[in-house]
Amino acid sequence: MDKDVFSSFHPLVNFVWFTTVLLFSMFFMHPVFLTISLTCSFVYSVVLNGKKAVRFNLLYLLPLLFFVALINPAFNHAGETILFYLKNGNPVTLESIIYGIAAAAMFIAVILWFSCYNAVMTSDKFIYLFGRVIPALSLILSMVLRFVPRYKAQIKIIANTQKCIGRDVASGNFFRRAHNGIRILSIMTTWALENAIETADSMKSRGYGLPGRTSFSIFRFDKRDKTALLFMVILIAIVLYGAAIGQNNIRFFPSIKMPVMNGSSILIYCAYFFLSLIPIIIDAAEEIKWKHIRSRI
Amino acid sequence: MQHQFLSDRKRLSRRTLVAALLIVLVIPLTILFGVYFLDDRKYYFISMLIIIYTMLPFVMVFEKRKPQARDLVIIAVLSAIAVAGRAAFFMVPQFKPVVAIVIIAGVCFGAEAGFLVGAMTGFVSNFFFGQGPWTPWQMFCFGIIGFIAGILFQKGILKKGKWPLCIFGGLATFFIYGGIIDLGSLLIFTSDFSWPALLATYVSGFWFNIVHAVATVFFLFILARPMIEKLDRIKIKYGLLEP
Amino acid sequence: METYQIEDLTFTYPLAAKPALDHINFYVSNGEFVTICGKSGCGKSTLLRHLKSILTPHGERKGEIFFNGADIVDIDQRTQTEKIGFVLQNPDNQIVTDKVWHELAFGLESLGYDNQTIRLRVAEMASFFGIQNWFMKNVTELSGGEKQLLNLASIMAMQPSVLILDEPTSQLDPIAAADFLYTVKKINRELGTTVILSEHRLEEVLPISDRVIVMEDGKLIVNETPQKAGEILKDMKHDMFLAMPSPMRIYAGLKNGLACPITVSDGRKWLNTLIGDKTVGKKPHAPTPQAPLRQIASKFSPEPPAICFKEVWYRYEKEQPDIIKGLSMEVAAGKLYCVVGGNGTGKTTTLLLVSGILTPYRGKVLLKGKDVAKMNGKEKFSHNLGVLPQNPQSLFVKKTVELDLHEMLDGSRLTKEEKAKEIERIVALCELDGLLEMHPYDLSGGEQQRAALAKVLLLNPQILLLDEPTKGLDGYFKIKLAGILKKLTDNGVTIMMVSHDIEFCASYADICAMFFDGNIVTENDPQTFFSGNTFYTTAANRMARQFFPDAVTTEEVIRQCSINS
Repeated sequence: MDKDVFSSFHPLVNFVWFTTVLLFSMFFMHPVFLTISLTCSFVYSVVLNGKKAVRFNLLYLLPLLFFVALINPAFNHAGETILFYLKNGNPVTLESIIYGIAAAAMFIAVILWFSCYNAVMTSDKFIYLFGRVIPALSLILSMVLRFVPRYKAQIKIIANTQKCIGRDVASGNFFRRAHNGIRILSIMTTWALENAIETADSMKSRGYGLPGRTSFSIFRFDKRDKTALLFMVILIAIVLYGAAIGQNNIRFFPSIKMPVMNGSSILIYCAYFFLSLIPIIIDAAEEIKWKHIRSRI
Repeated sequence: MQHQFLSDRKRLSRRTLVAALLIVLVIPLTILFGVYFLDDRKYYFISMLIIIYTMLPFVMVFEKRKPQARDLVIIAVLSAIAVAGRAAFFMVPQFKPVVAIVIIAGVCFGAEAGFLVGAMTGFVSNFFFGQGPWTPWQMFCFGIIGFIAGILFQKGILKKGKWPLCIFGGLATFFIYGGIIDLGSLLIFTSDFSWPALLATYVSGFWFNIVHAVATVFFLFILARPMIEKLDRIKIKYGLLEP
Repeated sequence: METYQIEDLTFTYPLAAKPALDHINFYVSNGEFVTICGKSGCGKSTLLRHLKSILTPHGERKGEIFFNGADIVDIDQRTQTEKIGFVLQNPDNQIVTDKVWHELAFGLESLGYDNQTIRLRVAEMASFFGIQNWFMKNVTELSGGEKQLLNLASIMAMQPSVLILDEPTSQLDPIAAADFLYTVKKINRELGTTVILSEHRLEEVLPISDRVIVMEDGKLIVNETPQKAGEILKDMKHDMFLAMPSPMRIYAGLKNGLACPITVSDGRKWLNTLIGDKTVGKKPHAPTPQAPLRQIASKFSPEPPAICFKEVWYRYEKEQPDIIKGLSMEVAAGKLYCVVGGNGTGKTTTLLLVSGILTPYRGKVLLKGKDVAKMNGKEKFSHNLGVLPQNPQSLFVKKTVELDLHEMLDGSRLTKEEKAKEIERIVALCELDGLLEMHPYDLSGGEQQRAALAKVLLLNPQILLLDEPTKGLDGYFKIKLAGILKKLTDNGVTIMMVSHDIEFCASYADICAMFFDGNIVTENDPQTFFSGNTFYTTAANRMARQFFPDAVTTEEVIRQCSINS
C-alpha cells in the first residue's frame, strides 16, 4: 500500500478517477470493456492489497461470479435461443446465460474497484473533498471516525470490568450473554454521552460556530496532478464518445447483437484500457524511476 | 432538541420545497434519462440516483442552518455508538443494534437527527467493513427509519414506551430495511426487474430479515428505556431543554 | 496592565442553596503564572469557566470580570476564542477530529484563516512543541500525555494572550505531567503568555508559579506568592496543607522563623540551616542495601499466600515481545501490597493476570493456592476477588448511586433485609451518605471512585485489586481512601495496588514492590524500600536523606527533626 504512488496524488484526482472507473464499469457491458475492467481492477487490487487480495479474490469472488452467473437465467427468460426448459416450465435461454456471465463479471469488477477505493480514498481525503461543500457533515464524519476506535477500546475496558464482577459476555446461556452484552453497550452509551459534553465545550472554546469557518487541508494540487487530470479527461472524453456512438454496449435480448468493430472502436478500447490502468502505469513509472536513481548511486 | 431539529416551521418548509422540486422535476428527468439512454442498467442507476436525491434535502437543510457544536457532538456520538455496536456484535450476522439506536435517536432528538444518525452510521460503518455499491442503500434505509421514527413520535403516533417502539422497530426493520435493501441487491445483481425475481429475493432474504427484525426488537426491548432516560438526562445537561 | 480583573464575583448554580463562588476578588497581571488550588468542589473549575464566556455555566452571576480592561460580557466570541485559550481536564474528551493535523488546525479554521496562514501557524506550533513527527498520525496512536500536549498545541496555534488550564495533568502519569507542566512554563516564559492553572498535585506546579490562589467553599482564602502562601497556611493550620509539596509540609510541621521552602533543593538548604550544625557528628548516609526478593515466605506459614506468581511469562501476541518475564512473587494475606514503577513495565498487565482476564503462556498464578486459570467466573469473583478499574465510570449502570449498589446484589440469594443491611454497611464504610440519590456521573472524581469501590466491595472480596486508585484525587480524598483501605486490610482483605503515587505508597503500603522490565526488581516495607532508592523515592526522603536516610514520609521527617533540633 505504501508503494502505491497514485494514492499520493491529489484527492480530487483520486476521486475523479474512481468515480469514472466505477461508473464506466457499471455501465458498459461490452465484452471487451468487461474484460478490461475486470483485469485492471484485479491487478490494481493486488498491487494495493498484496497477497491477501489474491486469496480473497479467488476464495470469495470466484464462487460469487458463478453464483451471479447462474442466478440470472433462473429468473430471466428473455432471449430467443431456448436451450431447455426448467421444471416449472420456464425456458432457459442462451442469451440469459451470457447476460448472467456478463452481469457477474461486471459485479465482480465493481467489488474489486471498491476494494481499491477503500485502500486509496481514505477518510481524510473524503473529508477534504467534501469539507467545503458539506462542512458540518464532514466534521461529524471526522468526529465519528475519532470516536469509533475510542468506543471500541472502551467497550473492551467495560467488558473486562464487567467480567471482574462476574458478568461475563462469554459465559452463561444465550439470553444471559446477550443481556450482558447490552449492559456493556448501555454503560458505554452513558460514558460516551457524558464525556462528549466536554468535547462540545472544547469545540465551542475553539470557536466552532463562528461565521466564516474555513477548511484547512494538507493536500496540494501540483503539476503532476494537473497532468494526470488532463490525461484522464482526454481518455474519458474518448470513452464517452464511444458510448455516444453505441460502441461500448451490446444488446442481449432478444438476440445478442454486438456493435460493428472498426478503427474508432480500437481507439475507444485503448482509451478505456489506459484510463483503467492509470494508477498501475503511475506506479510502474515510479518504480522504474527509482531503479534508475539507485543504479546511479 | 425537538424544537432545535424539527419544529422550526421555516426549515421544515424549506426541506419540503427542495423535496418537492426533486420529486416533480429531477426524479422524473432521471427516470426519463435512464429509460432512454441506459438500457440494461437503468433500474440500478435510476434507483440509486433517487436514493441519493432523497438524502440531499436533509444534507442541505442541515448544512444551511449552521448547526451548533452540541448538535454535531450528539449526532457523532450516537452514530459512533451504533457503528461500535455493529462492530461489537460482529460474530452474529444480522443481529445488530444499529436500527434500535437509530430509532431511539429519532424519538429523542427528532426526525432530522434520526435521519442523520442513520445515514452517517451506514456511511461510516462501511469505512470499517468496506464501501461498496450497497453503501447508499444502507445509508438511506437506516436514515429513513430514524426519520420516520422521529415524525411518528412528533405526531404522537409513536409513544416512548417499550412496546410501541419494539413493534415499530420490528416492522420497520423487516419491511423498510429488509424490503429496500433486498430490492437494491436485486437491482445490483440483475438487469431486468421482474416480480418473480423480487419475490424470490424476498423469500431468500426472509430469514435474514427476520433475524434482523428480531434483533431490533430485542435491543429495543432492553435498551429503549435506559437509553431514552440517558438521552433525556443529557438533553438537560447540554442545556437543550432550557427555554 | 491586568489581564484579568475579577471584582466581587458571586455565582450560584440553579437550584443550589449556597453560592459556588462567593465574593471573589483578584487580578492577574500580564505574563503572570497563577496557580489556583483547593479541595475538589471548592469552586476552582467554576471560577476558571467564568474567565471565558462560552464555557460559563448557567446560573445566577453577580459581580464583574474584566479582560484586558473590558467587561468580558462585551467582548465578542471571536476575540475570546482567539485571545483566551482553555485546556480542559480530560485529554481524550477534548480531541474532536481523527487526525493530528486537523486537530491542530481546528481553532484556526473556526476563526476563518486561510490555508496558507493555518499551515504556517501549525508548522510553527508543531516545531515549538517538538511534535512535528506526529503531524500525519491518527490521534488514537498518541498516549495520554501526548494527547494533552496536542490539546495545548492546538490552542496555542491560535496565539492566545492568556492560557487557562483546568487540572490539565490529573489524568496523566507523573512523568507525562512533569513534561506537560514544563511545556506550559516554557510558553509562559518564552512567549510571555499569561497562565492561570488549577491543580491539586502541587509538587511540580508551585515552584514554577508566580502566585498561588487558595480557595475554600467558593471563597478565596489566600492570594500570595507560593512562599508567602505556605507561611500563611501554616499559621492558619489549614488542612489544605495536605496538598502542599512535602518541603512545605515539613516546614509547617516544625517551629521555625525561616522562609518557607518550596522545592526539594530549597528544602535541603532550609534543613541545613535549621539543624545542620547539630548533626555534625552524625554519620553520612550510605544507602542501605536492598534486600533481595524474599523467597517463598509461605513455606513457614500454614496459610497459602493470597496471591502467588510462579515464573509467569506473558505476551499479547505470539510475534510480540514478552511483557511479563518470569515473574515470581507473593502477596501475603491481609496486606496492602503496592506495585510501583514506570509506564509500560507491565504493572497493569500483572493485575489482569491476577484477575484471570489474561492467562500466562508459561507459569502459574495462584489465588490462595488455587490456579486462577482453572477457576470459573463465579468462583473467582464472588467472595473472592474484586477489581476496581482505573476508570470507575466503566462500572456505573444505573441512574442513581443507590440503584447502582442494589444492582450489584441482583441474583444473590440474600433476603431483602439482608441486602439493605449489606448496602448500609458498605455505604458507611465508603462514606457515601448523602450521595445515594445522585447520578454517578454527577459525583466528583473521588466520590465516583468511592461509589465504584462500594460496588466492588458488595461482592465481598477477600482479595482486592486496584489500578491507579489515586489518579486525579486530591490530598483530602486520598486520605479518605487510605482510611477505607486500612479498614479493609484490618478485616483480613488482601489488597494489591498498582500506582505511580509514591507518596501515597510510602505512607500507607505494607509492602512496596518495584516493577521494571516485566519483573519485580525489589520489594520491601516502604521505609526500607524508599530509603534504599535514590531517585525513585518520596520528596520528603530526597529532601532529608542527608540527615535521616530512613525517613520516607513527611511525618517521619518532622518527627526526627523535632527530636534532633
